[in-house]
Amino acid sequence: MTAALLPVIIILLFVLRQNLIVVLGVATAYAYWAFGDGVIGNIVVDAWDAANKDILLSIPLFILAGNIMSRGGMAARLIHLMKSLTAPIPGGLAIATILSCAAFAAVSGSGMVTLLAIGTLMYPALINAGYPKSFAIGSLCAAGTLGIVIPPSIPLILYGIMTQTSIADLFIAGIGPALVLTFLMLSYAIIQNFGHREGNWDFSYVLRSLKNGVWALLMPIIILGGIYTGYFTATESAAVAVVYSIIVEIFIHKEMKWDVLYEVISETTKLLGSLFPVLMIALSLNVFLTYQEVPQNLVIWLSQRIDNPVSALLGINLFLLVIGCLVDIGSAILILAPMLGPIAFSQGIDPIHFGIIMVMNLEIGYLTPPLGLNIIIAMSIFKEKFWTVCKSTIPFLLIMLLGLMIVSFIPTISLFLIK
Amino acid sequence: MIIEKTLNLLNRFEKGITFLAFAVLVCVMFADVAIREITGTGLHWSRQIGVYANLFVVMFGLGVASSEGAHLRPKFADHWLPESWNPFLTRIQEAIMSLFCLLFAIVAFQVVVETYNDAVQSIVLRVVVWPFQAVIPIAFLLTSIRHLFYTIDPSHRPSTEHERVDEKSNGDDL
Repeated sequence: MTAALLPVIIILLFVLRQNLIVVLGVATAYAYWAFGDGVIGNIVVDAWDAANKDILLSIPLFILAGNIMSRGGMAARLIHLMKSLTAPIPGGLAIATILSCAAFAAVSGSGMVTLLAIGTLMYPALINAGYPKSFAIGSLCAAGTLGIVIPPSIPLILYGIMTQTSIADLFIAGIGPALVLTFLMLSYAIIQNFGHREGNWDFSYVLRSLKNGVWALLMPIIILGGIYTGYFTATESAAVAVVYSIIVEIFIHKEMKWDVLYEVISETTKLLGSLFPVLMIALSLNVFLTYQEVPQNLVIWLSQRIDNPVSALLGINLFLLVIGCLVDIGSAILILAPMLGPIAFSQGIDPIHFGIIMVMNLEIGYLTPPLGLNIIIAMSIFKEKFWTVCKSTIPFLLIMLLGLMIVSFIPTISLFLIK
Repeated sequence: MIIEKTLNLLNRFEKGITFLAFAVLVCVMFADVAIREITGTGLHWSRQIGVYANLFVVMFGLGVASSEGAHLRPKFADHWLPESWNPFLTRIQEAIMSLFCLLFAIVAFQVVVETYNDAVQSIVLRVVVWPFQAVIPIAFLLTSIRHLFYTIDPSHRPSTEHERVDEKSNGDDL
């Protein structure tokens, strides 16, 4: 009876349109009260212990660095560079779109920001160059999600914190799958737009674009290079990224004023204020569940029903794809990573590889109704109807599913740089 | 009028504190890396200061997120009740959020009192922890007050990110 009441309360809170912090807070308090020692204050103690970890500092710092880069002129510079490099290739502008999204994602760390920054500039350019509207919308929506798996990725940091997996390793593991997805999208772009030719190489334009875009390109190299060589930890690289982005945008590009920096910090604070308190309560619930041996019992129960990693992977993929349609990526990782992680690990799936699979699954949720965040943003910036955007993304959804299957069943793609 | 003034004051206070805390966070974290490169030894206290500065950012950020309607909220059940109930649901939504934050503030305050009585210290900084911990009940109390105002007068309530997108796309519904 006590256990059955919890889902009823949770559903009631969702119906009453409560924020995730309330739903999770009430669920955690109920769990402490009904199944624990009844001391609700332990939520605060556990939340405090969770917040008192320096690994969490990488989240605010990476989000701030990404926001600073996004508000400057970085997107336009990267687009110019990609356009100059891809001009003679069939479907050059389409390729430039996908590469710009991938490069900008590595700078901004956010799928939505990537779609907004690149989409606003590239959508009119693609339409004016005669590319089909459905391709333009679909490619921007799909390539915009690359920021979720390309490091520095906030969902990967969240997964690392919730499952105590190395964030540096997760970042490095994200490179292979991101390349697979980018390659698949590029192949489709070339096949679909083989007849489109933008022009010939203009070497002086390439050099000019490279000169303008070099500071943006250096950012991911500094972050990933620093982490990969062991020079920085993830948190240190985030601090370096913030200072680097301020120097580049304010002193080198001169495309940002100090008062805009204040706005950017406010914007970042807003994001953190919505994410971190939820993260603290989720970590508190995680401590409680671990103490009560819930994940262990779940693993034992499921181990009796699932007897091989293939069916475990397929089942988890299917489950996460459905969840991705309904819940945003941050909430899904905070709630599900501690539950699904032990199940996957018990089937011999590497924790780093599982993190990549989880993030890629939920990444697809950005393109699926009803919650698909990139669909909603695309409706706004491209002024198109919901179903028009949905239909445009279908080919890319299939491509991403193919990419997901490849990455799921070939762990080496994620792990080769680590091992 | 009083509600509007109080909300503006609250907003300026929270944004000011988070800006300062963010500046401290970035400076100490970068200083640690820079000084390590120059002298070969980092600042051993920088991470703990960074953690506390981050706590100020995210806790007062809770209020900033409320003031901009940016809280995470799964929306799959939004259409389960009739649309004509929306004005009533809005007040209920804000009232529950306000009550939740108030209760959390009370529980957190009790924890801070315990920490104060036990004179718990930070191992790295060797200072008492309770002033930093006190940020939690204060931030939740301020957020509770803000949502109480939204319950009393929902016209002060900010539109959410999704509502803003819907407005921009001319109400093209899902």
